[in-house]
Amino acid sequence: MSVEKPSVSQELWTDFFAGSRLACARLISVVENSPQAIPEVLDRIIPRQKGGIRVGVTGPPGVGKSTVTAALARRAVQAGRKVGVLAVDPTSPFSGGAFLGDRVRMQRLSDDHQVFIRSMASREGHGGLSPATPYAADVLDAFGLDRIFIETVGVGQSELDVMSSADLVVLVLQPGTGDVIQALKAGIIEAADLFLVNKSDLQGTETLLDSLRFLMEIGGGPRRKSLPPVIQASALQDRGLDEAFAEIERLVSGLVASGLFLEKRRARLESEVRAAIGRELWDKYAALTNAGEVIPAVVGRLLERRRSPYPYIREAVSRVRILIDEERGPREEPQ
Amino acid sequence: MTDRRIKVIIAKPGLDGHDRGAKVVARALVEAGMEVVYLGLQQSPESIVRAAVDEDADVIGLSILSGAHMTNFRRVKELMEASGLGDRLLTGGGIIPTRDQEKLRELGIDKVFGPGDDLQGIVDYIRERAGRPSKG
Amino acid sequence: MKNPNRKKWQERYEKGGLRDADFTSLSGRPLEPLYSWEDLEGYDPETRLGYPGAYPYTRGVHPSMYRGKLWTMRQFAGMGTADQTNERYKFLLEKGQTGLSVAFDNPTLYGRDADHPLSAGEVGKTGVAVSSLADMERLFDGIPLDRVSTSMTINAPAAWIFAMFLANAEKRGIPFKALRGTLQNDILKEYIAQKEWIFPPEPHLRLITDLMAYCAEEVPQWNTISISGYHIREAGSTAAQELAFTLADGFAYVEHAVAAGMDIDDFAPRLSFFFNSHLDFFEEIAKMRAARRIWARAMRDKYKAKNPRSWLCRFHVQTAGCSLTAQQPEVNVVRTALEALAGVLGGCQSLHTNSMDEALALPSEKAVEIALRTQQVIAFESGAANVIDPLGGSYYVEKLTDALEEEAERYFRKIDELGGVVPAIEQGFFQREITRAAYEYQMALSKKKKFHVGVNEFVNPGQTLEIPLLEIDESVERDQVERLRRLRAERDNAAAEKALRDLKAAAFGGRNLMPPLLDCARRYATLGEISDALTEVFGEYREQPFF
Repeated sequence: MSVEKPSVSQELWTDFFAGSRLACARLISVVENSPQAIPEVLDRIIPRQKGGIRVGVTGPPGVGKSTVTAALARRAVQAGRKVGVLAVDPTSPFSGGAFLGDRVRMQRLSDDHQVFIRSMASREGHGGLSPATPYAADVLDAFGLDRIFIETVGVGQSELDVMSSADLVVLVLQPGTGDVIQALKAGIIEAADLFLVNKSDLQGTETLLDSLRFLMEIGGGPRRKSLPPVIQASALQDRGLDEAFAEIERLVSGLVASGLFLEKRRARLESEVRAAIGRELWDKYAALTNAGEVIPAVVGRLLERRRSPYPYIREAVSRVRILIDEERGPREEPQ
Repeated sequence: MTDRRIKVIIAKPGLDGHDRGAKVVARALVEAGMEVVYLGLQQSPESIVRAAVDEDADVIGLSILSGAHMTNFRRVKELMEASGLGDRLLTGGGIIPTRDQEKLRELGIDKVFGPGDDLQGIVDYIRERAGRPSKG
Repeated sequence: MKNPNRKKWQERYEKGGLRDADFTSLSGRPLEPLYSWEDLEGYDPETRLGYPGAYPYTRGVHPSMYRGKLWTMRQFAGMGTADQTNERYKFLLEKGQTGLSVAFDNPTLYGRDADHPLSAGEVGKTGVAVSSLADMERLFDGIPLDRVSTSMTINAPAAWIFAMFLANAEKRGIPFKALRGTLQNDILKEYIAQKEWIFPPEPHLRLITDLMAYCAEEVPQWNTISISGYHIREAGSTAAQELAFTLADGFAYVEHAVAAGMDIDDFAPRLSFFFNSHLDFFEEIAKMRAARRIWARAMRDKYKAKNPRSWLCRFHVQTAGCSLTAQQPEVNVVRTALEALAGVLGGCQSLHTNSMDEALALPSEKAVEIALRTQQVIAFESGAANVIDPLGGSYYVEKLTDALEEEAERYFRKIDELGGVVPAIEQGFFQREITRAAYEYQMALSKKKKFHVGVNEFVNPGQTLEIPLLEIDESVERDQVERLRRLRAERDNAAAEKALRDLKAAAFGGRNLMPPLLDCARRYATLGEISDALTEVFGEYREQPFF
């Protein structure tokens, strides 16, 4: 196989490490547009990361996630933090294009320009984020930002990606919509670290709180013994957000002190390693065996003859080692 | 393999609420497979270019029906050059007299669109001109 | 179908072979090939139409309509400085125009002074810059305000622009009771379509109610709101959406004022409307006729207004700016003539005809004159003004009037379900409906289902523009900024500041805001200073993007 040219120029790296905002933006484009460059990018940036905290903001459509995110980010700036926002909007399944409108909702935040705001289309992601979002957060972390808010798509499907890529998840709900059931189905309630009831001036706040308590009692698994903190707020009237931000900071300190923060990071890294090995192995296998054409043909025959695929799978796996050995040649015996 | 989708900023600079054109064009670009960052109304040239930096946008499209096109295009172009976005496409649309279109060309804004221009023409122009040297 | 002749015709029609064309209306409404008396079976002309000047006013608001008084030919104008606009007004009055209509520049429309950073490049561009009473004095210098009626197209800062207008009249010794005119002052359609706002809807509605209450006492001949569909249509709505959203806005103003304790008959006679007249001739006429009937019924039956003047939907019409093309601009004269004729046959009380060069720039003097002459041809040559509601009884027009009315009623129910106009705005209902309609129309043009002559068909390649255009000199902005600077240096600043403090106090409390606004105007507080003072109390409005 030919040696691939690096996807990131030395000039871009120099600019990035010199603190160029445009270079940071371009590096995010690299992880977004060229997945094959991700290993190369991570190799360079992970040593530079300082442990920026990733706060996921999720919730059903229309609850005001963007406004809440902007309000929390503003408070983080006021508290002296270096802040980034990744706002994900859905990609159209028909055209592949996307309408990214979160900046309008974050107008004031965007005006002051202390916060790096990046809109991302969800592209192939189906769990509320784009596949590149966690890497974009890595880039921002290496850029020196210490609070990175990640706002999910919020189109109502299960938005679970954010739980594996954020250190802390804020679930935004609003009264009177029955969203709780949806959030419960999606498993988000159990994972959220903070409930933020937005538009709490609307009727139905008490009902919402009651049902949250009830659901936690009957549904709280081993991960969650008690209801997480609930903050009543109104992002439009800028109410309750000081409390929410203070609560987030308190939770962050708790996470760090208890070691849970490291535990979460460890789990995230572990699944990243597993997934990456799986990907790499598959790519290699596919390249060596021409799997893209072979498998469909095999599957066709199996279907025709009503055979289980497992004998084929066992055979294929046993061939992997041989193929890899052959490719390496005799010089490189594994240690 | 790269999965590069054209990223376009659509903004309305200054004090001008006529956003019909901006919205229709934004939608047409999305339907043509582009990623459109919509900034909306009352944007200053500064805020537009700052957004373009963070977004690493390929294209900035300004919609101006207020008569302030010369002021705004000139300022945005200057700020783009100063922010390292000199290689990105700046275009736009609105009520822009022919004479001013010529002046805009001198500033390096080759084409702006007006009432009656076909959406497909706008999409094609952006597709053709949004390319720039590798993003990495 | 009972009628054998109709059946026979239907068969022959179906066999005849049709052009490959789209036969829907401009708004995409499916249309029958023919309307006939069978389509109006069971139709009661007494209750559906009545007579001109009588309930339900379908045929017109006056018994004599244009035989009694022609519509007011009112050309919207304003550009550059107050002095330049003042000259244009004098020119128009000399040419036979019978009312003035002020176009303000964008900074003024947003309540910002000429030296605000966002005003850069926009001062005097699409209208006249008015930053204080001093500009208002120059704008109307030598114009007999007690003898011409003045329409001011301004919304967000309407109350304090009006305060400056009143302060100017006061200085010239003209009694408020002699002033006639209209303030657009329709903030709801700003949130819906035109997007020139300052405060959130609720505090702004209070401001409007205050102005209505003040005028009912002090300036009784003034039309306090011109509830406008024009901009909703320009933003891309269909005819039915324009009709429904405009009337819904009207109902919202009525409800707000009644809730504030006003008697409906004290203010409703001073509400007027403003519609667009677009290219689909019959649909536009039907829309205007339906508007009168819907408004009259709602005011009489739902809101229980007793004074018949409260039931009248009186309206101004402007031809559709968005129908004009930059290509072959002379053809715009023809479009405008057709649209203007629809406005007249729809029974408008006043009319603005656009100039042919408006898709290119601000209108030149020549183009404005042709536009005015177009109205004069309709009024004095065409015979259209001889007979009242000449299309009344047309099977097609009556059917279409009914259809638009029904579609509007469906929208009213939808708006009610959303909790009313303000909640519907907050949920983006109108914005989304309009954006969708605009996009669909644009696609129809793209696919040549609809045509725009010279744009997507009958194009003249390589044509060059040969009409002279008006350009606003960049010096206008410099001069205006300089004048403002001098004003701030020369006025009694202590008095201006005190007036602004009083205004804030009144805004915090519940007092009617017009007297303190008038006082700010008298003290030469600037437009932007007044906006800022009120924003401190009322807050700022930010739009969510709706697609």
